[in-house]
Parts: sequence; structure tokens; C-alpha cells
Amino acid sequence: MTTAIPEKPKYTIKEPKNLSHRIKWLRDYYFQGLNRKWNNEFTGWTTGTPWDFQFQEGQYYIVPETYAFFSTFTGAFKQTAKKVNLPADFWKWSLPERHAWFIKEVMVHYLPHEILPGDLIAGGRFNLQASTCLNKKEASRYRKMVYGKNGVRAAILWLHNHGYGNVGATSGHLIPDYEVLIQRGWEGIYQDIDHYYKALPDIEKTGKKGAQLRAMLTAATMAQDVALKYSQVCTDLASQELDADRKIELQNMAAMLKKIPWEPARTFWEAVQSLWLTHMLVMSDESYPGPGLSFGRIDQYLYPLWQKSINEGMDREFGKEILKCFWIHCNTVYDAMIRTGGNQGITSGFGQVVTLSGVGPDGKDMTNDLTYAMLEVIDELTPILEPKPNVRLHRNTPDRLHDKVIDMISSSQGAPFLINFDERSIAGMMLEAKKAGAERLINQNNVYDYAPVGCLENTMCGNDRSGTVDINLNLLKAVELALTGGYDLIPYTDLLTGKTESRRIYGPATGNAERFKTWEEFWNAYVVQTRYIVKKIAELYQRTDEIRAKFLPTPYLSCLVKGCAEKGKDINEGGAEISFTTVEAVTYGTTVDSLLAIKHLVFDKNICSMKDMMDALKANWSGFEVLQAQAINKAPKYGRDDDVADEMGKKVMELWTAETWKYKSRPTGKQFRPGMLSWNYWISDGYILPASPDGRPKGKFLSNAICPSNGADINGPTANVNSVGKVIGGKDPDGKGDWLEFYNLLPNGASHTITFNPSLIRDPEHRKKFKAFLRGYTENGGSCLQINMVNADMLRDAQKNPENYKHLLVRVTGYNAYFTAIGRELQNEIIARESHQI
Amino acid sequence: LTGLPNMVTDKTVLLNNKTVEPDTGVIDASRDSKGMILHLQRFSTDDGPGIRTTVFFKGCPLSCMWCHNPESISIKPQIQWLENRCINCGTCIKTCPKNCLTKAEQGIIIDRKLCDGCGDCAENCPANAMELLGKKVTSDALFNELIKDRIFFEKSGGGVTLSGGEPLLQPDFSATLLNRLKGKEVNTAIDTCGLCSTAAIDKVLPLTDVVLFDLKEINSEKHRAFTGQHNQKILDNLLYIRDYILNEAQEKVLWIRSPLIPGATATPENIFELGAFIAKNLAGVAKRWELCAFNNLCRDKYRRLGIAWEYAGTPLMTKEMVGELEQCAKRSGVNSEIVFATGPTKIEDS
Repeated sequence: MTTAIPEKPKYTIKEPKNLSHRIKWLRDYYFQGLNRKWNNEFTGWTTGTPWDFQFQEGQYYIVPETYAFFSTFTGAFKQTAKKVNLPADFWKWSLPERHAWFIKEVMVHYLPHEILPGDLIAGGRFNLQASTCLNKKEASRYRKMVYGKNGVRAAILWLHNHGYGNVGATSGHLIPDYEVLIQRGWEGIYQDIDHYYKALPDIEKTGKKGAQLRAMLTAATMAQDVALKYSQVCTDLASQELDADRKIELQNMAAMLKKIPWEPARTFWEAVQSLWLTHMLVMSDESYPGPGLSFGRIDQYLYPLWQKSINEGMDREFGKEILKCFWIHCNTVYDAMIRTGGNQGITSGFGQVVTLSGVGPDGKDMTNDLTYAMLEVIDELTPILEPKPNVRLHRNTPDRLHDKVIDMISSSQGAPFLINFDERSIAGMMLEAKKAGAERLINQNNVYDYAPVGCLENTMCGNDRSGTVDINLNLLKAVELALTGGYDLIPYTDLLTGKTESRRIYGPATGNAERFKTWEEFWNAYVVQTRYIVKKIAELYQRTDEIRAKFLPTPYLSCLVKGCAEKGKDINEGGAEISFTTVEAVTYGTTVDSLLAIKHLVFDKNICSMKDMMDALKANWSGFEVLQAQAINKAPKYGRDDDVADEMGKKVMELWTAETWKYKSRPTGKQFRPGMLSWNYWISDGYILPASPDGRPKGKFLSNAICPSNGADINGPTANVNSVGKVIGGKDPDGKGDWLEFYNLLPNGASHTITFNPSLIRDPEHRKKFKAFLRGYTENGGSCLQINMVNADMLRDAQKNPENYKHLLVRVTGYNAYFTAIGRELQNEIIARESHQI
Repeated sequence: LTGLPNMVTDKTVLLNNKTVEPDTGVIDASRDSKGMILHLQRFSTDDGPGIRTTVFFKGCPLSCMWCHNPESISIKPQIQWLENRCINCGTCIKTCPKNCLTKAEQGIIIDRKLCDGCGDCAENCPANAMELLGKKVTSDALFNELIKDRIFFEKSGGGVTLSGGEPLLQPDFSATLLNRLKGKEVNTAIDTCGLCSTAAIDKVLPLTDVVLFDLKEINSEKHRAFTGQHNQKILDNLLYIRDYILNEAQEKVLWIRSPLIPGATATPENIFELGAFIAKNLAGVAKRWELCAFNNLCRDKYRRLGIAWEYAGTPLMTKEMVGELEQCAKRSGVNSEIVFATGPTKIEDS
């Protein structure tokens, strides 16, 4: 999932460059979208039973925009699904065995195998809506748990409509063990599973574990069977090919696809081919096109073969050509719903993250030639969205990499990648090891091999599923409940029926805040309500986790995650060695600012009474404009490097993260862990949550992830960075943090976006200063940074919505002012200037 | 930064007749002096080397016709009204103890003869639409803010720049502050118009790593016409600083900055002769000569301060004009590698 809504510049958009005829054709063809003859849209497949269904709505519980369409999707996929002929004894098999066989059957024998002109990588269609393969009894049990008044769907809707957030056990969002795949091939993976199966006592062989391992053995042969089909396609194409060079390419592909991905890759080309086929089949296995299914430290595990092939005479540019084909394949995930979205791949991000660079053992930098080659590929293909790069920076990052990073930021509208910061991130991973007693699996000898999934969610590689988008909690709900003593501030009205709920208490009865005499009383109520919302959301999550564990196995993916074979357990049952589920807190800045506003206005300065505040919030500030202005302008705010305000931020952070560590998901044993990622909820949930004490009216955006509220960071980017670093955990001056001096209360990491003016990087001297800013961020900031460059569109938006842009500094040598504080005429002039500069 | 009401009888300077009084002598560290400060700007990337925090002092001995920061000229605190922020609640009018605010069609009118800058209106304005320009701040409070970006200073070779306004008009305060910053090994810079007492330089220069020195106009009469003061003392001070650097502290950095003002300083003759002066007197010492193109984006500031501005209608310079002057500078005898042109130029119609 992406964190930031990408700005869509209307002016000069960066153009791709240095593309061969082949790549230019493939890229242009891809962007033809619906006009393409070939695409990778969902196809539905059924066992043919009346109770069969394909659409797994639980994968979309965290996407409230889709709630209204669940029945439509379910019906539509069912209606269009094609029947797959089943073997006679199919229904005697266990569910995972049925699933494994079914997916393999569709991928090998039903779905067409095609290769586009010039493509160097095989593996086209993979987006499935496959049968869930449930038998009648299972389907009926599933329905009972999902539908009806007491079903999980109704509970999810309730949670969302009442502003708590959303939950759902979601697919993707992990890094399969691609390193082992490259080194040992599917053959090696198969042997391991077989070993565990054969070692089972007979009684377990006939039981659940045996069934799971047999399913995995079936799944482990899928990739090679699919590869053989593509090998045949290559042979056929080669026989008709007139161009001599292309003929040889196709012959080479035909030959390699007979061996890999079953055997270990021997060349760079084979490695990338093996990786892609294996990767795309995970999406088939999950009937889920991509989000968060990430590649990990790709510039590390592919590097030995890159080096070997270069030494054996591979032209470096040809190596990049292979990568560019791979890059374009990654974008075909967007085809899944191609008929409903016009603007292919431009407006959203699926987050198949590739991790580049980063620290190795003993603080050594791991940047290599493949790191740079991949950055060149991104630079030359951009704008393109997948796979999404995350560049890991740290204290020993070489200048050359910093320079490349800044060059790329300068030539795009903002950074075409996220930047992860190793020291802070690793401190978080060490904390989770401690909290979960997982020191054997995460320790100082391997923690540097962590990598982000989705966009910035840190996990280990190949043995870890940490449910990084499964739970999204609005911290602000606790402020509302603390004000009312457990009631919704404004009773929920159903949009369809127009019915308003009667007044009912949902949270703990902490009493009406109007009677509180001191700030401490309010804080205590807030603590109680925070405990309640964390518990509430953790409990509901377990119901979705249970449904997935019981009915929706993914044996193919389980082959690629360490722990599953050993335990004889599907990954969806918690088979991975490292199994967390992450609570992503949303509305953090708004929450901290709301608490600061209540303290300042009601208790410290007596500017208003608690009743005034409650009346103002109920009225959505209408008639209370002066109080609203005071809340916005006079109360302290998080994000200004104000130690007192940031101390409140730290308290809020410590409270909710401590609550989160208290829970485990019973059905799978997954430990809950904290993170901060807001996807788009900070926008959409602004329409659900009522007005907040920081001056925000209902309908306005909430704060995004760990970012200060919109417009709050009036002291500029360094102050913003310092605030983020303090609240995420700060540092220990004596080097006794969880990693070096660093603490990180959020092992998942936190999304942080800062917007800059492009003039900041206008010349080499200023680029050097920006580089130093990133070095400073490494020391003082958070775990991950998204850099945006302000553009004319944003300035126009700032004209319309000045309250969101109070921090936007316009700088022209010798003169500086906040953009929103200057007259419209001058604003127009600056806009004209920016649109020329970019 | 905290505001202090009822200000300021700082007698180091008499702004009315623009004379600069001699300084009293050594730094008096016993009193924690207060400075008259406009604001802080963190993450400054155009006020010296690296990433810097710039402290804008209030009060300047010059009053350049083109001044880009007119709010920094007077050392007295001033009130301004920001119309974009105003929510029309009238709190300021009710709050003002001297009744100097009225509401008119064009907004809040400030009677500047009556207003003594007490800041009550700004303190009470819910929307921060009334703003107090200029606050008395202790060096402690300021230092604590400045040191917060130390890591960014270290990583960039940056530090703190005292600018303004004119930091050398408040030499004791500047020196106290710089002294504390040097105690933490922070790189320090002053951005000065050059008009101050020698004693002020003596106090501040030893604590300063980088001097950003303004040279505006070589002809003294014209200088007086443009800025209100002759340039003799300024040139003397520049040479004094040069001698100090040459004789005692060669590691110190001197940058010269010259504003290019259409109809005033932006003439080939002036630039050429400034260059000749630099070449003759500062060769090897001045590490950089910046030509800063005229900027009209500050006309709002004049309007808000109720000051008519001669340059309100003057357009930006064209790229060609700036380019020609840059060439002129490079031909003046100065090492051409130290010449840089900065600032906005006119957008060509396209």
C-alpha cells in the first residue's frame, strides 16, 4: 500500500530516457491500457459447485471504498467464472490439497501463455479470481462467520462507520524467500518439504500436517510446469521469427525455461526469469494482485549472478534491459481491474518493493554495481510505478549513492523512491525481537538483512509475515470517547436509511469531561479509552484472522516462507517463523494536537470551558470560529521541535504502543506490533470522525502517519525532522539504545513525508546541502522519508486551502515569506515562476 | 521566542539621524543581554555555507530605497496586519490599550503614530493575523533554539548566521550569542551592511567564522542618496576586517554581496568599479562575490507596514541584464571564479 497520494504534476512531467526500441515498445504498449490486445485482467475459475465463490472479501476489509461493492464483486466473478474439470477424488482431498491442485491446474492448463514482442522475460497472465475450493460444509461455515447480523462483515462496517478504523487479514505484504529460490531453485525447496513430510510420524502424515505438506509438494512443482509451457511458446515463436537476433533470444529463453526455476539459476538472466515466474505465481495463489508482495534485498541476492554474468561477457546494458523487462512485468498487476480504472498505473501504487543498498555486517555499506544499475533502470523508465524502490541509507552510505539519489530527486517531481533509514529501522527490529522473544530469529548477526514491504513496513526476509496493513486504528477516536465518557460525539446516521442511532455507550464510562477539574483527569480518561480502542480493534482482527486461517490456505506461498514446511502449517495459519500483525496508527498528529489544545485552552489558559469545547465540536465549530482559530493558532502543536509539545507526542506514542504489545491473535498466535502508515485513511476518515479539538472541522484531512498535522510544522523541515525523531523514540546519548544510540518504538516503521521547494536543489551547491540534510535525517529523524517537491499545482491548492499550507516557505534569494501570508497577486506571480522552474 | 511588551530604550543607536554611537567596550557577560529580534529561520540555504539557522535582527543604520526586508529597518517593534489570516472577529480592536486600531473597508487600519508596539493585539488575536514584528529575546532562549539544528550544521558545514537588520547594531548581544555558539563549536556567520563602529567589529569578528559583507555602491554620494549614508565608513570597516583576517585569522571567510538594483546600483560602471575595488583590496581574502538581482516580491511587506515604496512598480531584471552585469564583474579584475549571480529574473513571455 502506498503512503502518500502522489502529486500529479500538470506541468513538465519527467520523461523516460535512454530506452531501447524493445523497451520503448513494451513500455508504450503497457500504457495503452485498455486499448491493448493483451492484458492481465482477472479471470474467474470455479469448481462448478453451486456454493463455490472466488472473491475473498476479507482481503478488502481494509479498503472501505470497496465495501459497497462486495456483493457485486462476489456475484460478478462467480457469474463469469469458467469451470475447471476436477479429478474424480477431488472432494476427498484436504482443503490445501484442493487449493494447490486447482491453482496449478489453472495456471498450467487453462490460462493462456503468451510472450509479447521483444520481451526477455516470460510470465504474462497471472491475475486470478480462483475458486476457494470449499466443500459444501466449509462454505456454509464460512458464510456463517462472514454474513448476517453476527457476521464479521457487519462488525467491520460498524467499526469503520463509527470511526475506529478498519481491520482485515490481508494478502501480500511480505518478502518470500527469493534468495533460497535463486540459490537452490524449486528443486531445493521441494526437497526440504519432502524431507519434512517423510519425517512425519504416520499418524501425522494422514492428519492435517501431512495434508498441508502434500499440498505444498504439489504447489512446489507449479512454477516449473508453467515454465515448460512458456518454453514451448518460445520454441514456437523462434521457429517463425525472421529477425536473427530475436530468434536466438527466443531459443535461449526456450532452453532456460526447461531448467529454471526448478534448478538454481546460473546466469543473471536466469535469475531474473526465475524470480519473476515465482513471484507472479504468489499472486495467483492468493488471488490477489500484488499489494505489498515485495522482493527484499534484490541488489544483494542477485548480485553474485550479476557479477558472474558480467565476468562471462554479459553487456551491462543488456543486464539493464533484462531488468527493464522485469520492471514492466511488475506493472501488469494493475491490469487486474483494467476495465474499471482508466489511468493505468499512474495514480496508485501496489508496492512490490525492491530494497536497494543498506548496511551489512559491522556497519559495512552494501551498495554495489547492481544497486546503481537498478537506480539507472528506475531513472530511465520513470515515470513508472512498479516495483517501488526503497533505498536504505545509513551512516556509512557512500557519497556516490547520495549523489545519485539526489540527482534522481532533482530530475523528477519528488523522489521516485522511498528512503529508509537503517539505524532507526534496525532499532525497531531489535525491539520487536525483544518484545516477542524472537532473539533467535532477529539479532545483531542478521538484523541488517531486514527489508521493507509495501512501502516502508520493515520485516525480515523470507521467514516473516507481519500483517503490515491488517489493522488501521484511528487514535483520535479515544479523544472523542474521553470527551463524552464512552459515547459517540455525534450518533451515527446510516446514509442509506437515514436512520440515526439512539444514544448508546460503547466505550468505558469515564464520565463526561465537562466535570473534570484538572488536565490529569482528562488524560486518565484518554488512557482508559485508548486501552479500549486498541482492545476493540485487536479482538475484531482475530475474527478475520480466524476465517483466513480456516478457509483460505495458500500452500504455494507457504513453500516460499521459512517455518511453514517445518511446522507443517500454512502461512495463513501462522506458519511463518516470524509472525506479527501490525497495528498501524492513523491520526497521530491530530490526536497529539487535540490533546495539546484541550490542555492549553481548557486547563492551562482557561480560554474556554470544556463545555464550550464540546459544544463547538458538536456544532462542527460553526458559531465558534474564534475558539477554532485559537485552537489552530494559539495551542501548541507537534512538529515544531517544541520540547513540551513533543513530550506530549512521546507520551501518546508510549501509551498506544504499550497497549498494542499486550495482544496476540489467538487463531494464529501472531503477536501484535505497532507501526504508522496511514495509506489514504487520513483523507477519507476525515469525513467520518467529527470535529477535533485541534481546530479541525469534520471533513478536513487528518494527519498522515507520523507527519505533523497539515500546516503545523511552521519551523521548517529540520524542526519537523527533530520532532519526528523525538516521538518515535529518540536517542540515548551513551549509545545504549536498542541499536547504537537509537530507539524506535515502531518496529514496522513510520511514514514521513516532507515537501520541499525545487529551488532547494537547483545547483550543485544546494544539492550538497540537501545531501547533508539526509545525513542529518539519518541521525535525528524517523525510519522512512518520502520527499515531495512543491509544484505549481500544489501552490494553487495552497491558494485555495491556505490553512493546509501554513508551513510552505517561498524563498527567493534575499526574500522569504510564508506563501499563504502574502497577497494573491504575488502568489500568482510565484506560481507562474514555479511552473517555469520545474 | 517570547514577546516582551513595552520596549526598548536601547541607546546604542539613534535611528532618527542615523548616527552610530561608539560602543562602550568589552562584552559584559554578567547581564544576560536581550536582543531585538525579528525571527529565526531554520534550514536556511542561502545565508552562507551549509544548512544554517538565520537570526534576523531588527534595526538597521541604513535605509536602502530597495530594502527587501523593510520590517527590519526600525529597531522598534512594529505591528502588522495579515489580511489572509484575519477572521474578522474584532478582538484586536477591543484589546488595543491605546485605541489605535480601526476597521475600515480595506481592513484593519493601524495608527502608527499612536501604536507603541506593546503587542497586546498580537497576543490576543485568535488567528495570528495581528503580528508583532520584533521581540526582545534573551541570548539563552535564542541559543536553546539555535542549537537544536546542530546535527544539520555538522553534516553540512553550516551553522548560525546573524542577519537582519544589522547584527552589529547590537554588538554586545551578538557577541554573547556568538560566544555561546562557539562554545559548542557551531560555525558562525554575520551578514552585515558594514556600517558600524570599529569597536562593534572588534567584539564580534573574533567570534565569527564567515563574514557576509554588503557592498552596494562605490560612489559615496550615490550611496548616500540610495541608503541615507556615505560609504566611507563601510569601506574602512571592510578594509579593517581584511587586515584582521590577513594578520590574525586567515581561516576566516569573507564573502561580498552586491545588490543589483535597476536605476541604482545595477549599472556596468558601478559593478566594474566595485570589482576593481575588490580586486585591488581583497584579492585572495574575499572568497565569493555574489551579485543579488533585485527582487520585488516584498511589496506586500511595505503595504502592510503602511510605507510607500518607490520600487513597487519596478519589474524584475531580465536574464540578459543580470548576465551582462555578471560578465562586467568578471572583467573587472576580480578572479572570475568567485563571481556568482543569484536571485530572480523576469519570466520571459512564452
